[in-house]
Amino acid sequence: MSNEKEQWGSRIGVIMAVAGSAVGLGNFLRFPGKAAENGGGAFMIPYFIALLLVGIPLCWAEWAMGRYGGRHGFNSAPGIFSVLWRHPFAKYLGALALLIPMTVYFYYIVVEAWCLGYAYNYLTGSLMMGKNPGAYNDFFTSFTGAGADASLFSGLAVQSLIFIAITFAANFIVVYRGLSGGIEKFCNIAIPMMAVCAMCVLIRVLTLPANPENPEQNVVNGLAFMWNPDLSVLSKPETWLAAAGQIFFTLSVGFGVIINYASYVKPKKDIALSGLTATSVNEFFEVCLGGTITIPAAFIFLGATTLATFTSSSFSLGFKALPNVFAEMPGGQVFGFLWFFMLFLAAITSSLSMLQPVMAFFEEGLGLTRKGSTLLMFVITSLGTGFVMYYTKDLAGLDSIDFWSGELFIVVLALVQAIIYGWVFGTKLGQEELDSGAELRVPRFVQFVIKFVSPAFLIWILYSMLSSKNVAGELKIIEKLRDPIQLAGFCIVMGSLLFLWVMVFFAGQRWKKRGEPNLDLRTKTTGLSR
Amino acid sequence: MTTAGWVFMIVSILSVLLLTVYCIGKVLLYAPKD
Repeated sequence: MSNEKEQWGSRIGVIMAVAGSAVGLGNFLRFPGKAAENGGGAFMIPYFIALLLVGIPLCWAEWAMGRYGGRHGFNSAPGIFSVLWRHPFAKYLGALALLIPMTVYFYYIVVEAWCLGYAYNYLTGSLMMGKNPGAYNDFFTSFTGAGADASLFSGLAVQSLIFIAITFAANFIVVYRGLSGGIEKFCNIAIPMMAVCAMCVLIRVLTLPANPENPEQNVVNGLAFMWNPDLSVLSKPETWLAAAGQIFFTLSVGFGVIINYASYVKPKKDIALSGLTATSVNEFFEVCLGGTITIPAAFIFLGATTLATFTSSSFSLGFKALPNVFAEMPGGQVFGFLWFFMLFLAAITSSLSMLQPVMAFFEEGLGLTRKGSTLLMFVITSLGTGFVMYYTKDLAGLDSIDFWSGELFIVVLALVQAIIYGWVFGTKLGQEELDSGAELRVPRFVQFVIKFVSPAFLIWILYSMLSSKNVAGELKIIEKLRDPIQLAGFCIVMGSLLFLWVMVFFAGQRWKKRGEPNLDLRTKTTGLSR
Repeated sequence: MTTAGWVFMIVSILSVLLLTVYCIGKVLLYAPKD
């Protein structure tokens, strides 16, 4: 069983940590691009519907399952799933909630290092290269190694390696200090700091004068590029799919993090209001800040035609388009630093949350100490990140793991969680769990939504992903598997899953010897029955 | 920017802002014991 001493120090701490996990690069780079591409303001209709029908209900389900498992002494998904579903197979399904954070960390840490590296280069002025789009492209290519495989190890990208090492070290130092002493303390500082940085950049963007060379390129027209609605997109399924996908990725639903973080909430403490607060903080960063900074700033300096070429790629928008903007913006060096430092904070609060669920499993499943779990996690993630750092040509290594783990398996896990909550754990027990200590009444229809609407929605998303075809009429997933790097990424993800299943097997033996999960504990401690 | 654009932007931002302020306010003000 897990170390029972691990608990959140304060309620605001857990909210900040969950919000920190959810707020990431996607809030500032992916969301505005998706919205601008999919009908502007009209995108917000399916976006908010997906938030209400899938995002918030599934978040609440994860909070409820997590605290329930935590009350029975488990903090890792395999243990929690065993408590929720008394079946030997349950713990193996729980391994999915370890796989996703672990494998996403393989590449997320690299992107996090880019943010820190860009912030540093703004601080030193190296990235103030004037109006020269080619120079920013070259900088990105050389900094990320996107020009050729293994170029990060060629001796010409020492700075990139240093920043990857620094971000790796920073993450492991914080998680080693524990949940309350490390992650919570860090997020309590990082989230407000992130908000301050974002507000500074927002004020700068909203007060920018029109482009003197083309007065039509001004803030209002930049906002119009982002928000003017094209209602015709609402009849396209792709728009709804894009909105639902964005909600998933932004809220970290089906990521395996919330269920772990919620397990450390003290029994009888509120989770309903905390869950909604963490979600709303994430939405604040996404809609209020992400929706008003990135696109208007880029529009003023790049114009509609050039900007449209960047919106489909978060990396292009963030790391190639925006440096052009900061180069021309008054005070651009300072605001460039603030922007990339903010992205770094957004990224590190997310990457920390990817380490904790797996380390919690190593501790409670394999009996490792914090030091042991930190060391084991360091070795595993170093190997995975090594793959991403080696296959850098066109960022193929990063893309491959992002697709298999960050796009496909995340939907699978969300579906598994919705089914376990709605059909195994039971909505009655789920509602009781949410109501226990609640300072906000969760409407009853939420249970109906989690049981019927969310799984149906998720099956539709999964089907759309798997049945998507390329121009030649071939399934895109088959096309991906024929690409050697994509196949390698698939093998790494599946290999990681196999490794986790073996670990879960040993953890299961260990728990069995100890008589865990002790299901009688449920009735003793909570009075709840099934 | 069209009127519809302003409406979509203001309604979206205000609804998220109000929800955030409501939730954080409730957490901070009405649960001081935490």
